[in-house]
Amino acid sequence: MSKFTKEMVDDYANKLLIGLTEEENKLVLDEFEQIDKQIDLINEIPNIENVTPMTHALDNFVTFLRDDEAKTSDDIDDILANAKDVEGREIQIPKVVD
Amino acid sequence: MSNMNKTIKELHELLKNGEITSEELVKESLEKAHQLQEECNAFVTIIDDANPEKVTDNLLSGIPYGIKDNYSTKGILTTGSSNTLKDYVPYFNATAIEKLNKAGAVKVTKTVMDEFGMGGTGTTGHTGIVLNPWDKTRICAGSSAGSACAVAAGVYPYALGTDTGDSIRKPAAYCGIVGYKPTYGMISRYGVFPFASSLDHLGVLARNVEDCAIVVDEMKGIDEKDMTSWDSKDINLFANLKEETEGKKLCYIKELCDISSYPNADEELKLHLENFHKTIQKCRDLGIEVEEVSVDRKLLNALFSTYIVIYSAEASSNMSNLTGIIFGPRGNADNYIDMIKDHRTNGFSTLIKRRFIIGSYVLQKENMERYFKNAQRIRRLAVDIWKDLYKKYDAVISPVGIGPAKKIEDINKSHDTNTVTLDEYLCIANFGGFPSITIPNGFVNNLPVGVNITGNCFDDSNVLNIAYTLENALGYKNQIAKEVKNNE
Repeated sequence: MSKFTKEMVDDYANKLLIGLTEEENKLVLDEFEQIDKQIDLINEIPNIENVTPMTHALDNFVTFLRDDEAKTSDDIDDILANAKDVEGREIQIPKVVD
Repeated sequence: MSNMNKTIKELHELLKNGEITSEELVKESLEKAHQLQEECNAFVTIIDDANPEKVTDNLLSGIPYGIKDNYSTKGILTTGSSNTLKDYVPYFNATAIEKLNKAGAVKVTKTVMDEFGMGGTGTTGHTGIVLNPWDKTRICAGSSAGSACAVAAGVYPYALGTDTGDSIRKPAAYCGIVGYKPTYGMISRYGVFPFASSLDHLGVLARNVEDCAIVVDEMKGIDEKDMTSWDSKDINLFANLKEETEGKKLCYIKELCDISSYPNADEELKLHLENFHKTIQKCRDLGIEVEEVSVDRKLLNALFSTYIVIYSAEASSNMSNLTGIIFGPRGNADNYIDMIKDHRTNGFSTLIKRRFIIGSYVLQKENMERYFKNAQRIRRLAVDIWKDLYKKYDAVISPVGIGPAKKIEDINKSHDTNTVTLDEYLCIANFGGFPSITIPNGFVNNLPVGVNITGNCFDDSNVLNIAYTLENALGYKNQIAKEVKNNE
């Protein structure tokens, strides 16, 4: 029996605040099965656990601290013009704290 | 007479000599865009009020171009081809757009893509399927579908794309044009919607290698707004573009390119691989050394799942801000949780939802080692193999996809694992950040097919010069799509 279930997929969808149709749920399940088979193949590669995971395309990023200079931020009028519900100089959004 | 079929250099000459004006070019480009929209649905927005630009010594000045709809364009609708951002108008430009503005380039369209770049078919955008201008029963591939379609149809000489797996390079092949993504970070990603940040590249689609070099020279450069960008001032792609064969060595991967890997191959795949081997012979005739190399089949066949796992994980995180609260149309509900759920359920396409769930699953603490970390380990093993190849060879050459553009009804057709690997393996260039270019190399059943050249990081000039040499020898540069009626 598969370790992936319809309920599990719905649970993940809920956590992501996404609703799925029955058909979409089935597509996810099928895809999980395929990926799981491929991951089984990956696990057959000898000493795979000793390989350092590659997290980015290049390994030589040069990071630096910017000079501590004051800069102009985005123009407030531009931001207000971009918002749907504006009251004076404030943007109105739904209540997002319980 | 059409001007938009010409190359950037030809157009610049005509503009400088006063034989045409930027206004005339913009008018022609817009007219062609409207015509193509009727036929192929390539655009989210046609910028009818686009203003002509002053012609300067900059090769791009006064010339129209197209932009994939995930590049932020100030004051112009930028949707990512998603219902979740269907009305979003940014108040700033992506860095690449700022640079092209300074060059005097004229933006005339925003092009349709697969939703947020996810999916390789050009069928998941919120404005509908992009049809291939060579055969309207077929796809353009994606995700830079509209950009490829419009350049192939002669709406303008070039359009911008993005490439996370092969999203510039496969549409280029399916549409008979050139698609180039430079080394990771050569072009700033600032202002382009992130999809899978460790794999996302910006690039260009054009009808010849030289035009790609001209455009990327203008787009590239270090940007303090993108910490992964780097200083490329010593790389001058256009100035250094030349035919080079002496001492050049390419390799191709036996497991991908040998027909014996595909016992169930259809006629199109057989012809595609035959054509690829003719291209190899052409390289040898030119004096380029080409060798066959072998790569572990198990590793090759793991590449596509590796790609899905990594990009799903990164995308589910990157796009968690798409809630309808801070961007996009607000969902209908009494409380913010249900509002977000309504927005995301109705806004995202099925494909995106599937990928988010997979991404979330592989990132869970109990699953991370088996899925996400192992995918990242495969990424390193594969990249190390390619880096080893680059010690001996200038580039890896390979066929693009498993034939010409697929029929719309065949996009979900299942294939055996080896065939899927051939279709999807160009993501290796995203894993390693390698410069990678597709050029047209002929026809299968009267439809264009492409060949890809991928080299080592920062070796963009070399990769482009090899592509330029081969392009001139193959004779398929500057193609404009001609609708094929006999392909059933």
